[in-house]
Amino acid sequence: MNSRVYFHQLEPDYHRPVYRLTDKAKSRIRKRMKFLYGNHQMDSLMTELERLLQVYYAHKSEEMINWDSCFDPENRFTEKDVILITYGDLIRGPRQKPLQTLAEFCHTYFKGAFNTLHILPFFPYSSDRGFAVMDFEEVDPNLGSWEDILALKKDFKLMFDGVLNHVSSKSRWFQEFLNQNPDYLDFFTVFSTRSEISPDHLKLIVRPRTSDLLSEFQTLNGTRLVWSTFSHDQIDLNYRNPRVMLKMIEILLFYVRWGADLIRLDAITYLWEELGTTSIHLKQSHESIKLLRDILDAVAPHVALITETNVPHNDNIKYFSNGYDEAQMVYNFALPPLVLHAFQNEDSTKLSHWAAGLNFISPQATYFNFLDSHDGIGVMAVQGILSATEIEQMALKVLEHGGYISYKANGDGTESPYELNITWYSAINRDDGTESFELKIQRYLASRAIALVLRGVPGVYLHGLLGSRNDADAVLEEGSTRSINRRTICKKDLTDALSDKASRISRIATALLDLIKLRIHEKTFHPNAPQEVFFISDACFVIQRSALAGDEKMLCIINVTSQPQAVGLDKQKLERESDQLQDILTKKKYRFVRGKLTINCRPYEILWLKGK
Amino acid sequence: MDFSVNCDPESGRAVIICSGRLDVNNSRQLRDILNDVVARSCYQIVLDLSQTQYMDSSGLGAVVSRIADLRANGGDVRIAGAKNHVAGLFKLTHLDKVIKLFDNVDNATASFTE
Repeated sequence: MNSRVYFHQLEPDYHRPVYRLTDKAKSRIRKRMKFLYGNHQMDSLMTELERLLQVYYAHKSEEMINWDSCFDPENRFTEKDVILITYGDLIRGPRQKPLQTLAEFCHTYFKGAFNTLHILPFFPYSSDRGFAVMDFEEVDPNLGSWEDILALKKDFKLMFDGVLNHVSSKSRWFQEFLNQNPDYLDFFTVFSTRSEISPDHLKLIVRPRTSDLLSEFQTLNGTRLVWSTFSHDQIDLNYRNPRVMLKMIEILLFYVRWGADLIRLDAITYLWEELGTTSIHLKQSHESIKLLRDILDAVAPHVALITETNVPHNDNIKYFSNGYDEAQMVYNFALPPLVLHAFQNEDSTKLSHWAAGLNFISPQATYFNFLDSHDGIGVMAVQGILSATEIEQMALKVLEHGGYISYKANGDGTESPYELNITWYSAINRDDGTESFELKIQRYLASRAIALVLRGVPGVYLHGLLGSRNDADAVLEEGSTRSINRRTICKKDLTDALSDKASRISRIATALLDLIKLRIHEKTFHPNAPQEVFFISDACFVIQRSALAGDEKMLCIINVTSQPQAVGLDKQKLERESDQLQDILTKKKYRFVRGKLTINCRPYEILWLKGK
Repeated sequence: MDFSVNCDPESGRAVIICSGRLDVNNSRQLRDILNDVVARSCYQIVLDLSQTQYMDSSGLGAVVSRIADLRANGGDVRIAGAKNHVAGLFKLTHLDKVIKLFDNVDNATASFTE
């Protein structure tokens, strides 16, 4: 891994032969560009696109060119892949840039468990904790530098955010628009008056916010209204302008040069906007992702795209397309609310039924199984899986646990819950309850274990790894409900807490890291290893994973209740050859007797039963 | 912070008057009061915040600490008389979309029969 820090050269090498797209790649890319932009200026657009690829390629070292040529996209993700999600400055120490602190901390505590770091947007920004990017090509000097980002690659693969949908109103691009620089007039979707969008068209547009769609700005030539899906400070880019697309392609390739192995396509479903449509999930948005995939496959095949779309599950998984030409990973948005539902109600039925339908996508694509992130627990994905009443009850319980609810505009004047803002620990455990500390810890670990056993690659937010409680004060101080799960942690306090074996943080982090370290050595947890969900008991989530070679099985049982549960297993139904099973967590052995075995699970117990 | 509780199990309704500052020092007390009135089968609760001068995040948390239970039992918690800073907190945290706010106790109480 060490050498991969230097896989790209800082300067291009134009002595080497210039990169040429293969005919096949060129044809695919041309087809997508034609779909998006028609035939007009196609030759000049393709020429410019190929130039961008040539510039990128000239930065690749010979070592990397050789490495890429052997890269197997079907072995991109394995059981070794576990992603830690963090802001660049969640841990802060004295006399050190936060990215250096992060590198030091991750090297000491997380290496050997996590192999990938998702560093949330680390660019200069004006709001939304990094998601209103002012300059896509700079590292926020408050965090560190590009060299600090590269240094993280010594130990980890890196995931960067591609915040493609919008840009900060303070960005140079938007400022140039305000200056009415002709080069930037078409970078945004602009209206002179509100009447240019009919009420019917406005109603159609689906957005995850309740703010005005159009933000008013004074430009050199008078008042203009600009399309802003998320906030007044986050101005949507106009992808109907091919120059915007080319610019963002250049930026993504720049990220690859600085170490990105995975690129998270933030809010990508809103990328393409078109009056008279919902402006969500448009075919042009899908085609844009496919275009980016084709480009990366051509010049940087080791880089994967992961789509972040908090939308109903069936729409979400459409970002896989056929499994070979769109996202390599999709945020599994339905998982967090379904796990939460299971633990709130001590009933795994809904979770189990949904998990049973998590189909194999392709050898090149898989799910990103997360429970928490910098945002809240999205509830859009469980529309149609949970009833409106169940979603409402879940949201009310989140309020009881000290969390909040964010809403979206439905387009018809009504609003509905969009995400639940709460830390995962507080969602699972009530601070004012009378339950024992031990029970709370075990419940928390059990909930986390579900994301570790499902088909896909697991991800854990740093605050989830530490079992952080709600930062309720920050919500009021910063005026954002999402601040509840974004507390900055003092490095010394964290080090002290981790050293105190009895502390909540130490207990949770140690146990989770131990679970992950066991998991990454089990081929049955390969992202695409087959899985089968068993409906043995409502009280337990039971899933069996089988190694791709078919030579090993792992039966995972997680009691989602506060009561002991007896789980009856049938050797024949589990298709086991051997009579013996061993729990790899406790080393305890179990044996089928005449094909039957009953396991008495303690409250919230996790069992990973390995055998043939 | 002073709390005054008028709980009528017969009608299933309770009015809780919170006077002064509702913060980390006494929010536990409000949680206990809510637990107590719910235990007495009062599921329609009006919180009179007209005399509440200040509230912090723990106070806000206490206000909604039984909301799921209340609604599951056909009841609710409704806010009366919240002003300025206190009313602003409900808006800032979007709780005004979940909990109904009224000018006074009479209107809040009457809303349960509408």
